[in-house]
Amino acid sequence: MIPMALTLPRTQGLALPGRAVTMDEEAFRHLYDRTARPLRAYLMRSCGDLALADDLLQEAYLRMLRSGFEGEDDDHRKNYLYRIATNLLRDHFRRKRPESDEVPERDESPGHDQAIHMRSDVGGAMAELAPRDRQMLWLAYVEGASHHEIAKALGLRTASIRSMLFRARQRLAKQLQARGLRPELEVS
Amino acid sequence: MKTKLCSHEEAVTAAARSGNWSPELKAHRDGCLTCAELTLVVAALAADAEDLAAIDTPLPDPVPIWLRAKLASRERQYRRATRAIVWVQRAALAVAVAIGIAFAPGLWELVSGAFSGLDLSISAPNLPRSVGSPLLVMVVSLVVLGLLAVFELTAAREN
Repeated sequence: MIPMALTLPRTQGLALPGRAVTMDEEAFRHLYDRTARPLRAYLMRSCGDLALADDLLQEAYLRMLRSGFEGEDDDHRKNYLYRIATNLLRDHFRRKRPESDEVPERDESPGHDQAIHMRSDVGGAMAELAPRDRQMLWLAYVEGASHHEIAKALGLRTASIRSMLFRARQRLAKQLQARGLRPELEVS
Repeated sequence: MKTKLCSHEEAVTAAARSGNWSPELKAHRDGCLTCAELTLVVAALAADAEDLAAIDTPLPDPVPIWLRAKLASRERQYRRATRAIVWVQRAALAVAVAIGIAFAPGLWELVSGAFSGLDLSISAPNLPRSVGSPLLVMVVSLVVLGLLAVFELTAAREN
């Protein structure tokens, strides 16, 4: 998989209620086919729940369509989608725990896909991190976003990202090591 | 081994993603805990991303998303198109209220007098003349308009 740089959308507001749907259905389908799986992977690893990830995924596309955002190309629209998805995740975690940004408790309800947590050592390690750390690491090392882009998506200062990313990476490495993976070993 | 920010991070990240390690960079990674950790994290996340992207569970159907967006768009267009009507209704309500307040003291006698003299047994074609007062017709019409406006505004808010 070749990660793609997250070029920032040029519009200022993410949610622009009251705009008409400007994209045609075929273009939407093309964008969906191209972006939905990686976006769901991001959402799933960030929230740890497949059903919730699917809900947020649909909401992200719906908001993008309703915003009337056209974008210059599919990459531009994809980046916009990731920002919407990140905002949705942030809203979700705020609603769940208004006073903290801690790791969400695992959902033991029947609809929860336990397999997502247990799927791999990486999934288990990521589940131990704070949501923001997960999002930051994913955007940086899977999506290839720059510090500036991560800062925009997460609502943080660009200057803080490098050190925050460094600490998040250390925490993840520690969790991976606790699961038997070592820095000397490369995961294929 | 050191654990701090390293100037080789970008090169190591790119190499960890692509798997193309130069001998120098590999040597650096083996002696730098930061870059060794970075390699582990990047490679682990790449593998995890591939796993998650290949998950068997089908994606949500995009058609309902598209239809919901179109429906919402049409609702907004409808609201925009009917905005003028709503304003006229609001104006009618305001006029009805203003007239009601202005004429309230004398109006009751006029209305009660008109209704007391109303002969309900007369035939429909004669009704407007029997009702008599154009003012009463106007007031009743405004009240009806006002009630309609209230109804429309309430319905608009519910939507």
